[in-house]
This record gives sequence, C-alpha cells and structure tokens, in this order.
Amino acid sequence: MNIKDYFRPKTLLAGALLCGLISCKSDNSNTTKGEVSFPRNKTLYMAGFQWGEPNTFNPLCDWPAFPVGGNYNLMYEPLMNFNSLNGQMEPLIAKSYQQNDAVISVILDSRAKWSDGTPLSAADVVFTYEIGKKYPAAPTAYVWTYISAVTADTVTDSTSESGKAERVSFTINKERNNPLAVLDHFQAVRIIPKHYIQKQLDNLNGDLTAFQKEKLDKDPVVSGPYTLHSYSGEKIVLKRRDDYWGKVLYQDRLPKPQFIIHPIYKANDHFSIALQQGNLDISSTFIPRIWQKEKQGVRTWYSKEPYFVPAAMTMLFVNVTKAPLNDRNFRRAMAHAINYADVKELAFSQYSPNLEPGLILPFGTEKQYYSEEDVKKYGAKHDLELAKKILKDAGYKSVFNANGELEHMLDPKGQKVPTLSIKSPAGWTDWEAMVQIAVKGMREAGIDIREGFVDASIYFNSLPTADWDLILHAPSVNATPSQPWSRFESVLSSRNWKPVGEKMNENQGRFNNPNDKNYNPKVDSLLKVIPNLSDEQKKLEAYRALNVIFMQEQPTIPIVYRPEQFYEFSIKNWDNFPNENNSYTPPQIPCFGVGIKALWEINSTAK
Amino acid sequence: MLKRYPTLYYISSRAVWYFITFLAAVTINFLLPRLGPANPVDIIMARSASGLDTKTAMEKEEAYLKGFGLVELNKDGSIVRDASGKPVQSPLIKQFFNYVKMCLKGDLGTSFLNYPKKVTEIIAGAIPWTLALQIPTIILGWIFGNILGALAAYKRGVFDGVIFPSALLANSVPFFAFGMLLVYIFALQFNLFPAIGGYAQDLMPAFSWEFLSSAAYYYVLPFFSIFLILAGGQATGMRSMCIYELGTDYIKYAKWLGMKEHKIVFYMFRNAMLPQLTGLALSIGTMVGGALITEMIFSYPGLGMSMLTAIQGNDYPLIQGITLLITVSVLIANFSVDILIGFLDPRVKAGIGSK
Repeated sequence: MNIKDYFRPKTLLAGALLCGLISCKSDNSNTTKGEVSFPRNKTLYMAGFQWGEPNTFNPLCDWPAFPVGGNYNLMYEPLMNFNSLNGQMEPLIAKSYQQNDAVISVILDSRAKWSDGTPLSAADVVFTYEIGKKYPAAPTAYVWTYISAVTADTVTDSTSESGKAERVSFTINKERNNPLAVLDHFQAVRIIPKHYIQKQLDNLNGDLTAFQKEKLDKDPVVSGPYTLHSYSGEKIVLKRRDDYWGKVLYQDRLPKPQFIIHPIYKANDHFSIALQQGNLDISSTFIPRIWQKEKQGVRTWYSKEPYFVPAAMTMLFVNVTKAPLNDRNFRRAMAHAINYADVKELAFSQYSPNLEPGLILPFGTEKQYYSEEDVKKYGAKHDLELAKKILKDAGYKSVFNANGELEHMLDPKGQKVPTLSIKSPAGWTDWEAMVQIAVKGMREAGIDIREGFVDASIYFNSLPTADWDLILHAPSVNATPSQPWSRFESVLSSRNWKPVGEKMNENQGRFNNPNDKNYNPKVDSLLKVIPNLSDEQKKLEAYRALNVIFMQEQPTIPIVYRPEQFYEFSIKNWDNFPNENNSYTPPQIPCFGVGIKALWEINSTAK
Repeated sequence: MLKRYPTLYYISSRAVWYFITFLAAVTINFLLPRLGPANPVDIIMARSASGLDTKTAMEKEEAYLKGFGLVELNKDGSIVRDASGKPVQSPLIKQFFNYVKMCLKGDLGTSFLNYPKKVTEIIAGAIPWTLALQIPTIILGWIFGNILGALAAYKRGVFDGVIFPSALLANSVPFFAFGMLLVYIFALQFNLFPAIGGYAQDLMPAFSWEFLSSAAYYYVLPFFSIFLILAGGQATGMRSMCIYELGTDYIKYAKWLGMKEHKIVFYMFRNAMLPQLTGLALSIGTMVGGALITEMIFSYPGLGMSMLTAIQGNDYPLIQGITLLITVSVLIANFSVDILIGFLDPRVKAGIGSK
C-alpha cells in the first residue's frame, strides 16, 4: 500500500514553491542601503511610537512616521526644549528668549547647521512658521491662532564668534493674547530647512498637497543628531550624524548609540517580551504589573509605586446639556460614587498616586497652584453614603429589586430617568476596566448607568459632537510650559462654543454655554487672563478660583492620573538611564524633548 | 452550438458566472465600508484636531475632504458649498465610478491613514510575507491532512486510533491559543525559536544568505502554528469522506473483481478528494484574515494587520485594495478548482451536456 506515491510530485512542487516564495520575499523589501548589520553595543532599540507601516518622513505631513513629527528631537529640532522637572525652557536652536507684553523673541545659536552644511538661520524659522500661515492644511497652521507676525533681524551678541546673532520675534495675537501658547510652540514646532523645501515647493508651483506626497526618505536635510538610515514595514533605522552641530552643547561629544532602531510590533505583549529578553532597550507602552519584570532587568522611573511620573488625568466628560446630567448635584453624586482607589489598583496597575479632587496636580511644577484647603472644602472624594445622600436631598429616588440590584431611577418630578451610558473605545482594556469600576460605584449609589463600549473609530467620531451621556477621555496629555492652564482650557473653555452635534475640540461636554442665562463669564475671563499673569500670587489666586469652580460644578470627573508617556527601559544592554535617583532629564523617552540628553549619558554594557 | 463541446461549454458558463460574482463583490467591497456611521476624515481629525480652534480645525478638515476626493469641487478647484456653507459630499455613485475608473488604470488610490503611501505600495510590501507564510502552510497542511485522513480511514486499527483523536484535538484548538502555546513553550521557556518578528532585528531585508537563513529560522513557529491545525481539520474531513467511499458499491465491486489494492485506493481517493478540493479553494479566502492572528501573535510581517487598521480607521482605498485582492484570488482559486473538478469528475460535465 503506497498512497504517498501519488503525491510525490506534488510534495516536490510544494517544496519548490516554498523555497521560491521565501526567496521572493526579499525582492519587495524597502531596503535603501546595502548595510545590513547593526552591532548590539552601538545600537539602541526603542519602540512604542510607530504602530503601522512607516508612511512618510515629510515634516509637512500631518502624521509622518517616527521620528518626524511629535516631540522627537532626533531628525528635526525645535527652537527650545521644555524641562518639566524645573519648568524652565532650555536652549537648542535658540539660545534664549525674551518676553514683553506684545512680543516674544528668541536669539538663535549661530553655530546651528543643517546636515548639508548650510547654516540654520532665522530665514528657516520664519519659513517654518509662515508655511502655516500660507497653507491652512500645513501642520503648523495652528500657531497662527496665537501669533500675528514673525520677523527676523540681527542684534549684537557678545557670546557669539561674530559678535552678532539673529533674532526672531513673534508678535502675540492680541485677540487670543496667550504668551503661554507661543512658548508651547517653541518646543512643539520643529524647524525645517527653507533652502531645501522652498525649492521643491516652487517646482510644484507651490502646491502643498503635491509636496505632501513626497516622502523625503532619501538623504533628508536635517539638523538633529540622527538621520534616516533605512526602513521597512518592520523597523525604522536611524544613524548618528557625526557632524551634528549640537555637539558643541555637549562639550563636543556625540550621542552614544550609533544606531537607533525602532522595531514595529503588532501586539502589546511583544514590547514586554522584547524588553525582558533584552531585545528592546526602551519602550513607551502600557505594560501591566511592571514590578514582576524587574528580575529580567526591566526598570521604570520610580522603582516603587506609582512607577511612572503622573502628568495628566484621565477623566469622564459629562454631557451637561442633558437631564439629569445638567444638575450639578447629580454630577457631584457621580463623583462621590466612584471608587478611585479601585480604578488605580485594578485598572491601572497602581501607576498613579492617590487621586485628589480638582484639575491641579498636587505635585511637580503645578504644586505651587494647588490648595489643599480648597480641595478639602469643595472636592468630591469617594464616599458612597454621601453620594446617596446628595441624590436623595436633590429629590432623586432609586428603585432596587429584591436582590438589591438597581432597577431604575426616578427624577425629582417622579419621571423615570433613562439609563445613562459611558462611551469608551472597545478593546482598550485598561480603559474598559476604568469604566466598569465607575459604573459599579454609580450603580451602587443608585444611578442607572451602563458601559457603552464602541469601536474606536466611532468613539473618536462622537467625542467632539457630544452625542453621548458620559465619555472617557484624557485631554491635554503633554507636559508643556502652558500646564496646568491647557488642562483647564480643554475642560472648561467655552470660547469656541458650538452646539451639540457640531464639533468642539475642547470642553466637549458643553459646560458653561455662553448663550445661556446661567453663563458664568468668570470662567472664560480667568482662562483668558492667566496666560498673561506674571505675578505669582495673582496666578495662584486665579488658578484657585478656577479650580473651585471646577470642583463645585464638576463638569468632568477625573478618575486617575496618568504619565505624559510610559517610559520603561531594560538595563541588559545599556545603563545609566535617567530615573528618580539619577534625574538628569525629566521622565521622558531619550529622544523626546529634553529627554534626548540621555543619549549622551547612557553606556553600553553589551558584550 | 457550444453544447457539442461540453468541456468548453462548462468552462465558459463558469467563467460568466464568476465574472458576475466578481462585479457584485467589487460593488459590495466599495459599499460596505461606506455604509457605517464613521467617516475616515472624522477619525483623522480626532487625532489632529486637539488643540486647534474651531476655524483652523474646519479648514484642515476641508483640506482632507478635498485631498481624499470626498467632496464636490468647482472648476477652479474650490469646494462646492451648500446654503449653510458646509461642503457638499460627493455622491456615492460618483465615487464608485471614480473608483472603477482608477481600478482599470491599475491605480488602487492613496491610503488615507498611511497618507501619502499608495495602496499598491502597502500591498506590495506586505503580500510576499503573507503568501510565503500562508501558501505553503495551506498546501502542505492540506496534503498531509488528506494523506493522514485517507490512511486512517483505510488502515483503521491502531493507526486510526491515534490519528483521529489527535486530528480532532488539533482541529478544535483555536489558532491563537495554539500559537501562543508554541511561543510560550518554544520561545519563552526553552528559548529554541524567536518569539517576535519575521527575521532578526539587526538585519534589513536583503538577498543574502544571512537574511534568508534568519527568515527561515523565524519561519518555524508561525508555520507550525497554522500547519498542524490545518492538517488536523483536513484529516478529520478526509477520513469521513473515505469511510463513506469505502462503503459504496463501486469499491465493493472493485474488491470482488479482485482489483489491485492501490488501484482501489486511487478510485476512493479521487472521489473522496472532490469536496476537499473545494475546501482548499475556499481557504485561500481566509488567508489574509487567518494571517492576521499569526501576525499578531508573532509580530510577523504581512497584510493582515494593515487590513485590520484599515477597517478600524475606515481607510476606504486600503480596504478596497485588500478586499479586491482577496476577491480576485478566491475567485481564481474557485474557478480553477471548478475546472479541475470538471476533469476529475466526469459527472459534472455530463450533467451539463445532458441538459
């Protein structure tokens, strides 16, 4: 009996096909250069910034691949960096800035150069900003909300070789009058090379859309310490530029890693596996129970709880246009009903200190505006009985069945309150757990509410239009010079008011309708005034006043602190990463903002 | 007149049906992603709008709508607006004809989410990996499964007693669970094979021995994660088919005639294989979807993840491009199997000829 005989030719054929296909894989790779090997002791692996195929490296596109765009300082550089440890702006392309009521100006470092040897001049800075004025579709268009002009001139400067330096002046747009936002732009906008890009734009008759189709992935003109070496669907490889101008800022030293490789993983576990195996040095992803990975050499900023440095808040935005959510007693009852300790422990792996009420972080640079007295007096802490009492006093009645489960709720007029829901993206497991804990607490307090998990695309779609009761959202996450003002702005401002159904990119719950008789003009006027206050005492008073209004009105319910970015590192192949005991940079990935300094300080331990 | 040539008639009538199916599939591929409530520009804006004031955000949104060809344009290139100043969306039918026109030119458009990457570029970069992983596993799994199934049915006894339960077990384990198990045992516990990726992380794809050997090493676990389960499924199916065939009159008759054993097995095999062939053609359709799970477990390069993110982000051109590819390959595979069955099973042609 020999059935196999019938198939021998086919088996061979299949084998041949297999070999053929394996070999044809290589034909479609995106290799741009011949070099294939990156020695481990000269290569730093970091991941978590690029999730899909690298699309483009054009800085004038909205979502270019790592490390273009974002606050990465590897290829393109900003004027200055913001150090969230001390709240100071640190020099990069610009040596310093000066501020008066109408104008903020920077003095450029005359040593700055592009990778093709051209000096980085004031013309490049003006060009970068002007692009946003000329083209509403350019990524820098938003800066023109806050500035009205950018001009350049030359001033005497004793510290530079020639005795002169270029100065760029940004005129503050009086309509918004917000110098904090202008400072934000200094560290957020990356300067692009005019001589290189203007020429290409001219060839395309100034058509930005056509230029956005250029990928700029072959020998781009950059000013940063690294440039693009090669990329594929699986990784992005950056190579150190040994002629980087900025080494003068580091006693003529170059960053340690010769290569930076960003592998592109497709599942969350892989970051954790790769870190533990020593195949990844730095990761910027949510990895639960990080303390269990310590034996494998995985470390975080703090070696104990909360492991990460909190810089923002994840909150429940409440649609205050709907009954009963328009009742602030109801909102406060909701805030009292949530078990914040459970949220932190069960949903967020303890990665948050205990939550204090209000919108100001009780630590870090914001601590100076935090008032414990106000928080004690007005803040809503977890207290189930108090939640029940507030609801009862306001006239709400909850009907429970024989098993003690909530059936429904009646409003003060005796009408049944429709079941509320909290919208949140399905599949974001930590967020799902947060919503479940919030729902559990509120139902115990007698509020008829349920989880509403939806596809992420629907979630993003509905966030600005407010077609929800409550929604989970983390506004204003970045540590910038304008915090905590930007957090207040994104939660309370009604200066860009749009009715429900239209899009609003801040205060999505529609708090404080300017057309309503109950409009509180104090909120918007405080938001307008704070960025211009230089007197610290007045600033403190203004922040306190805003925070009190927030706590009294509870237009959103913060439920947990979160870091600006997750930052885990492995000490298997590199050491001397910044951490709580060695805080030479803020808790940022070494390529992000000021965090880039770490690239000069880490040491290879690989054999 | 064609009826005089049953083979030709059979092939051409199949071809017409397949063409109609193709047209229907292309239309559905076009419509389905557009029927949902979310619009790709809304999803992109959700990422880019935070921190923008309303006017800037609106200008940006309109630039996107225009760039993606989702709004009506005046002759001078400006956006057509309705009475309230809102941009007028292009009607679906117009978008559809645009899509067909571009398809005919071989242009699948530009991805929205991976802007400005061309859809063809994304597919070309990923498809070799998907094919290299899926085609050999599907074909080898099919061949081994069928041989084992037939053997089990024919030999019975201990052989069947071992193969059948293990095939059943393999077939009932979910893809992802089995893949994770392989990773846990062979990559994390014993460190025999790598857990992540399609080739060593310090290499770039190149036609070199170093790269190819690395790719082969990284190929082992993903291959077995699919192969064993597929073979198990095929074996159980083939075994029942063979047992059925063994009980039929023609086999008994052949045995009574005293025909040689391998001749009988050949007859049995030929008949039992027909439904399995159809199954093989259909499994080409699940290729990209099945690849997704393997890709996620191993971070293996391929098209599955691109499709998932495209669907999540309503990236119409990319969804259309990938579904078009799947449609075409399923139809071609089915068509070839139909033709093959026509030759293997004379009844099929005879049925048409006698109508």
